Amino acid sequence: MTAASVTTRASARWRWFRMPGPRLAGSPKVLPAVLGLPVLLWQAVFFAAPLVFLVIVTFWQVKAFRLEPAFVLDNWTRILFSTTFQRALVHTIAVAGTTTVLALLIAFPAAYTIAFRLNARARDLAVAFLIVPVFSSYMLRIYAWQIVLSPEGIINALAGAVGIGPLPLLGGAVSLQVGLLTLTLPIAMLILVFAMAGIDRTLIEAAENLGCRRARVIAHVILPSLRPAIALTATTSFLLAFGDYISPLFMTGSKPPTLSILIVDTVKSGSQWPRASVIGVSMLVMLALVLGLGQWLARGRAARKEAAR
Amino acid sequence: MNRTLATRLSRLAQYGLLGALFVFLATPMLVIVVFSFDANRFPTIPWGGFSLEWHRAILADPMIRDAFLNSVLVGLGTAVLATALGFAAAYLDFRYRFRLKLPFILLVAVPPAVPATILGMAMLAFLSRIGLFGRLETVMACHVAIATSFAMAIIRLRLNDLSRDLEPAAWNLGASPLSALIHVVLPFCRPALIASFFLSAAVSFDEFLIAWFVGGVHETLPVRILNLLQGQVNPKINAIGAVVLVISVALVLLAQRFTGVRAGRRPNPDPGE
Repeated sequence: MTAASVTTRASARWRWFRMPGPRLAGSPKVLPAVLGLPVLLWQAVFFAAPLVFLVIVTFWQVKAFRLEPAFVLDNWTRILFSTTFQRALVHTIAVAGTTTVLALLIAFPAAYTIAFRLNARARDLAVAFLIVPVFSSYMLRIYAWQIVLSPEGIINALAGAVGIGPLPLLGGAVSLQVGLLTLTLPIAMLILVFAMAGIDRTLIEAAENLGCRRARVIAHVILPSLRPAIALTATTSFLLAFGDYISPLFMTGSKPPTLSILIVDTVKSGSQWPRASVIGVSMLVMLALVLGLGQWLARGRAARKEAAR
Repeated sequence: MNRTLATRLSRLAQYGLLGALFVFLATPMLVIVVFSFDANRFPTIPWGGFSLEWHRAILADPMIRDAFLNSVLVGLGTAVLATALGFAAAYLDFRYRFRLKLPFILLVAVPPAVPATILGMAMLAFLSRIGLFGRLETVMACHVAIATSFAMAIIRLRLNDLSRDLEPAAWNLGASPLSALIHVVLPFCRPALIASFFLSAAVSFDEFLIAWFVGGVHETLPVRILNLLQGQVNPKINAIGAVVLVISVALVLLAQRFTGVRAGRRPNPDPGE
């Protein structure tokens, strides 16, 4: 076979793909660069740069309703020392913490039932049923809860029919948690179901053969091997609840405001971009700390085992 | 005897909790769909009787029609671009080792984890300074930045099942890396590509905060709903809601149909590891 015939065959194959052409693609470094650069540029311009700019803006100034480059710490001190921000921070952490605990307490037994009690068919159905709400119309579902819980809503209409006066269901901590659990429960359950399904069944059988009752199996086999998944569930639930805007807006009418509400209000009321950015950056720092804590908790046991060896 | 009774009660409690939870998750969706056919202006019981009035009303509303069209355009663009970029990122992660790989993968993976309020504000602040505020293309570009994460995850999972020897075999037979990519890897990834197309469309179709921040006058459907929700009680909301819900559920179900996600059959089923 001559070199020429090889070239002909190669170019015959290449007739399909004019770009980037055979010589270009032949070089080992070109293909990864051609694949990688668009992704890199896209994420840099539309994700990384906005976040970096957000940090920069926190040091800028607003003069006569115009944003001007500067380096002042005024925005930071004003926001961090304002009681509105501090109250909202404490409130948001308390709310997100409550959601995290509730989500874990509800999702764990439910995921356990799906992973260990249902047969394969029913389990697949349950998983499909959980994936749908993760990606569909959270805002609409919160609006639906508003209809259900409102003073003239479905539950109160039912309650009124049996002579119970209108209950103030909407606008309190309970309705807020209903909204946030609508957001967090499907994801929390999915993480736990997948983690539980991944547990080595022979371990469980071994424990049972050695005479362990179910409660001991859960405590000594299932829980320890789920440690990373539980940490992931907790951090994900916290992250979602902490940053959510819709539930606080529609379930409590923004009172008391959470940090997300505060951001939108600060942007809307005049051009206080720098201050809104300070709140945003503070939230990101807070979330990074929570993620770090989650990682640390997930690694805790493995690290200790390593140390013992 | 006592113990079996306890076991039975425990099982009953387990199934009871699971059932209650599924009712909790299904209720809001059912409420939206059922009350979109209600003749009453305010959605409550007793039901006011079956009516297509509100569905007809949204068809006649030009703002809703425009918003729907915008959503479809943004969703389609996002689906195509996010799938392409997600495939590129997943394939790079699968095939190559390079410096700063972890930061690169994180740059693609992290966006959905940032609260949309913060991300939307940051995108608005930055993109308006480079003259991209208030365009439909910008909404799409921002949605791509988020949806690529999901696309990469789905395609990367599929690549896990691709034998590492298949591509080198193609190279030995004279295929260039690009030709092996197109004739070997792409066909193998087809189900995952289709799944990520539908899922990216669903992500875009439901996103409202970023679209609200950067879209300006170009409202997508969820933004239109958000604006309607902040006004008076409007019976059209249920009708639009039902339409949006049916579309996004259909997109997610289609995506699932092609991923074949099943608990307990994949070698490493924990998405967190």
